[in-house]
Amino acid sequence: MKTYSALGAAIALAAVPFLVGLNEYYLFLVTLILLYTTIVVAWQLIGGYGGQLDLGAGAYHGLGAVVTGFLMVNYGVSGWVGLLVSGAAAAGVAFLIGYPSFRLGLKEVWYALSSLALVLILQKIFLLWTDVAGPLERYIPYAEFDPVFMRAGTKIFYYYITAALLASTFLIVSRIRRSKTGLYLISIRENEEAAEMLGVDVRRYKLQALMIYSFIAAVTGGIYASMVGFYHPTLFDSWISIQTATLAIVGGLGHLLGPPIVSIILLTVQEYLRITLGAVIIGLHQVIFGIILVVIIMFKPDGLGPLIDSLARRFPASVRR
Amino acid sequence: MVVAVVVIAAVVGISVFTRVLPLSQPTPQVSEIRVGLVEPLSGTYAVFGNEARMAAELVIEEINSKGGIASLGGAKLKLFVEDSKSTADGARLAAEKLVNVDKVHVIIGAFISSHTLTMLDVTEPKKVVVMADALVDYLTARGFKYIVRLPPKASVHGATAVDFAVGVFQQNGMKIQRPVIVHFDGLFGEVTADGVYTRLRDLGIRPVDRIKYPTDITDMAPIIERIRQANPDVVFVVPYYADSVLFAKAVASLGLKVPLIVGAGGTGLADPDSIKASGEAAEYMINTYSYDPFLPTNYNKQLVQAFQNRYGKLPTEAAGIVFYTLWTLKEALEVSGKNYPDDPLSGDNLMKALMSLDITSGPAAETYPSGHIKLAPNGDNLYAQAVALQVQGGKPVLVYPFDKAQAKPVFPRP
Repeated sequence: MKTYSALGAAIALAAVPFLVGLNEYYLFLVTLILLYTTIVVAWQLIGGYGGQLDLGAGAYHGLGAVVTGFLMVNYGVSGWVGLLVSGAAAAGVAFLIGYPSFRLGLKEVWYALSSLALVLILQKIFLLWTDVAGPLERYIPYAEFDPVFMRAGTKIFYYYITAALLASTFLIVSRIRRSKTGLYLISIRENEEAAEMLGVDVRRYKLQALMIYSFIAAVTGGIYASMVGFYHPTLFDSWISIQTATLAIVGGLGHLLGPPIVSIILLTVQEYLRITLGAVIIGLHQVIFGIILVVIIMFKPDGLGPLIDSLARRFPASVRR
Repeated sequence: MVVAVVVIAAVVGISVFTRVLPLSQPTPQVSEIRVGLVEPLSGTYAVFGNEARMAAELVIEEINSKGGIASLGGAKLKLFVEDSKSTADGARLAAEKLVNVDKVHVIIGAFISSHTLTMLDVTEPKKVVVMADALVDYLTARGFKYIVRLPPKASVHGATAVDFAVGVFQQNGMKIQRPVIVHFDGLFGEVTADGVYTRLRDLGIRPVDRIKYPTDITDMAPIIERIRQANPDVVFVVPYYADSVLFAKAVASLGLKVPLIVGAGGTGLADPDSIKASGEAAEYMINTYSYDPFLPTNYNKQLVQAFQNRYGKLPTEAAGIVFYTLWTLKEALEVSGKNYPDDPLSGDNLMKALMSLDITSGPAAETYPSGHIKLAPNGDNLYAQAVALQVQGGKPVLVYPFDKAQAKPVFPRP
């Protein structure tokens, strides 16, 4: 049964580009939706299980874009290598930030604010660091189709890379959740002092969760830079941080299915609103999107995760997690 | 197995998405010409984008009400507006939509040069003509085939600012001794300031300082103090909008005394929005523009009046460029319809039509500062010209070129 589901999933993901008629614009949007959903899924590790309201997604995403882009533009290094390097760089930054934060017991709003500050700090650093980024956009050389360099004129290439990343992220996160690490993280979220008393190395597991999540967020940034063909410090975008945390919370903290499903649906709604209303009444689409979020949280304060789980429970046992 | 549910949700979401948004139909037989407009309608540069959009709506309405494109059987122009959100990737996304979904025949945009560059990645492979309203020189120097640009490029703006300043000094029996260049650190700021620098160098004048500040600057005081340190006789400044307001206010509030302050590049300082935002600090500010709202031709007067009646403000940089760009497009479409009736809207034919134009009369010429539009092989206007406006009594007036000026520039600044 499990293999059937996986096969079905693979076929469905593979079919999406054809459902949108191979239209480059829709493929671009669908890829963006999957990219942001990937961050939401990865965020579960630190936010959903670890219980830390991390708002650093924009920093790791931006770092991925800048590092991958920099290597492609300045050294002609393949984007694939760039993704790994940028992931490692982001995990390194996460370590540098996370180690003292967790050691000093930075939690709740203080952790949230310090992680959000990271986005703005990195943006400033790269605006001033003109050898790597600076205020001028850097353009990645155009290639009609160069899979080794990871650059293509068509979005379908990036779509499949992103789909694969989302699927692997989902598998990694669900595996960690079932592992001892996952249980430790959940125990930290439920009651950090109690977990520590029971001998859980709180700092270590929080740090692990943070580093895996930041690695994945950086990879999404690298794919993004390669797809749009340039990088610039504005890609350190605090909106991504807020969007990620919001979607994960609305999807249900710590739920496996809720966040990705909600994120795909709401991001689709958001894009649809942007396309139809974005240039009609400026900002209206954001207002409507905000209202949708408020309404969901008003009626379902725990997010849609429990609802989706209970719906999943009505399906045959095989669909359950 | 959970993956399956996720994926099903994705598929459902996406197919709903595409159903609600019908995929575009095949191109009909020239019943309409689809014109895309990518502008910063929200975000940092929204003040420019919204003015451009107003102008586009006004002119397209006029072209259509006067019978559309005669050589294409009266086909009408249809405008598709997209917001770049004042970001480079927003402009790119907008171009993707216009090219792949709305299937536009031509795109006007994206005001900010670096944003325009990201659009070209999308338009070039699909042979969609871009008529740029962005000024950085190398937009037309990178070998792109489907781009034209009518307004004077950034370096021309820089040179015009210098020529104006030199002229003002000469009229008063003086010579520029200690110029200072101040500019924001984006692409457009760099290139325009380079234009100022190059012209000064050609005239054998050495700037005493060149000061760069971040685009999102919030405190101009350190910049003003550094200018004061340099003790200049003229300051050339290249701002965008919000920073131009900060600059003007800081000059006034910190009491910086410089005989002449000249902006270059048509953004900020002396247009109605900047005057409104800067208040009295805007007085005597000067900037170069790609369009002269006071051009005394019949059509220009009429258009400026119509613009003011509808939107309650004087059209300057962003609107002006769209005025003559759209009228030039109209002329090109007439030619294309006549010369290439089989496929008048293809990128190649439209480019050929644009290149064959030599406009010296009609609405496009009557709204262009030099009154003459003919494109060089790289897509730039051979007769590009910029003008300078100065704020006098809270209103912009034309002070350069001197032979067309409405008033003498106020010099030195009181």
